[in-house]
Amino acid sequence: MKQFLMGVVMLALTVIPARAQSMEDLNIQIHGYATQGFLYTNQNNLFTTNSSDGSPAWSEAVVNVTAQPDSKLRVGVQARYFLLGNIGNAITLDWANADYKFNDKLGVRFGKVKMPSNLFNEVQDIDPSYMWALLPQSVYTLTNRNSALSQYGGLVYGTLKLGNNLGKVEYRGWGGEQVLGGDDGYWIGLREAGMNLPNGLSGSNIGATLHWKMPFKGLMIGGTDTRKPAWSSQLTFAPAPGVLLTGSMDVKSFNQWATFAVYEKNKIMLAGEYNKLAPGITLSFPHLPIPFPVDKRQWYGMASYKVTQKLSAGIYDSQQINHALPLGPARFSKDWVISGRYDFNQFLYAKAEQHFIDGTDNYFDENLNPNGIQPTTKLTVLKIGVSF
Amino acid sequence: MKKSILVSLLLAAAFVFAARAQAQVLVIANPGVKASDVSKDDLREVFTGNATTLKDGSRVVPILLKAGTTHEEFLQAYIGKSDTAYRAGWRSLVFSGQASMPKSLETDAAVVDFVAHNNGAIGYIGKASPHEGVKVLAVK
Repeated sequence: MKQFLMGVVMLALTVIPARAQSMEDLNIQIHGYATQGFLYTNQNNLFTTNSSDGSPAWSEAVVNVTAQPDSKLRVGVQARYFLLGNIGNAITLDWANADYKFNDKLGVRFGKVKMPSNLFNEVQDIDPSYMWALLPQSVYTLTNRNSALSQYGGLVYGTLKLGNNLGKVEYRGWGGEQVLGGDDGYWIGLREAGMNLPNGLSGSNIGATLHWKMPFKGLMIGGTDTRKPAWSSQLTFAPAPGVLLTGSMDVKSFNQWATFAVYEKNKIMLAGEYNKLAPGITLSFPHLPIPFPVDKRQWYGMASYKVTQKLSAGIYDSQQINHALPLGPARFSKDWVISGRYDFNQFLYAKAEQHFIDGTDNYFDENLNPNGIQPTTKLTVLKIGVSF
Repeated sequence: MKKSILVSLLLAAAFVFAARAQAQVLVIANPGVKASDVSKDDLREVFTGNATTLKDGSRVVPILLKAGTTHEEFLQAYIGKSDTAYRAGWRSLVFSGQASMPKSLETDAAVVDFVAHNNGAIGYIGKASPHEGVKVLAVK
């Protein structure tokens, strides 16, 4: 399906220019952005960086090209360079799709499309679009981000007015194939334990998101549910030099759901989200079953205020707990954050953020913390970005 | 007593400033657009990329000014966002593959010229700017 969809998108990219009368008709646009982050922790190294020494190993650059020959049809492609500590350092295809919007009630998009699950998934990698340097890590974990963003498949979307002053509902429904690459940040823990997914992990998924923009102006409540049927992939394990076991990672079918709300009025924004993630994962090797317990509840609440035209400030509390783990700091993560963003002009901005992290269920890998992971961490994040 | 006078004065000032902001901007559209007026809600939805049609079914395409007083006044009066917040909203659509950035033009004259010659175009200019060849939409 992946090859077929990308073939159709590439065909559209070549046919549309041929039909246009002029380059002006195509409304071709090129946009991009680049960010550079700096991480410093008082103890513990996080995100696979040497953050306790201060680390600049967090860089991103994105460029996209779109053509919109008429108001209903749009075709585009976006590439991304991503580096975070030991993850990435490669250019990948972010999305490549064709979009046809019949009217405000119905549009379709296909190719490699972003999945609009949760409140911020569709934009969680688009740094210029929000004030935080890091979105709440309980739900939008940076190291796991890239595979959660998009899928090969299709999306239907639209907005339905409910009438009688009931507001309106924005809906999105999607289906296709999601691919979690073998070198993705999802698998840091596995890799450090000597296990690898040579073919990554992939499978079909369908989902839907509803945003109800309520008659009470500025308030939106919503929910999302994603159904992932059973996934399976080859898994290798090197428990000792010269020994290689081959087995499988099997994920039982499961639903991942979330509910959220946002209130925006004048200079104030309030938002919150609650997410449940409990996939049944089994790592199977002959005579060596390895438990992989995940039963997470993740949530956050955030508030921001536009202090001036150029300066925004905010706070959030982000928490997660893995009920499948024994009591202790590894079972949870709590993160209190204060944050600020300053826009120098339309193109250039800077962000500063302070995190107070309690617990170790997120952020940390074992290899870069050979003396053990301490239960609390203070993290300072500085970031600068430019977009055009 | 003093408190109620103060509140009344503040409300009056807010009303005057809001009226002044709206009065300085004209919303214009290509003559092919059927509507002769537009609600503030519809205007905000169209200019934030959330809608492409007005209530009467007219399909419209927003045209922006790049910067300047008229641009700031339009955003303040009808969108309720600063320029940086407004453009951040569009960037989230553009970089997630949901939309193309609206065309931004340097001057009122360029906006009038573009709107006059492109079906469905809708834009805004300063109240004192010449606007032959386009229709002015009343904002309700």
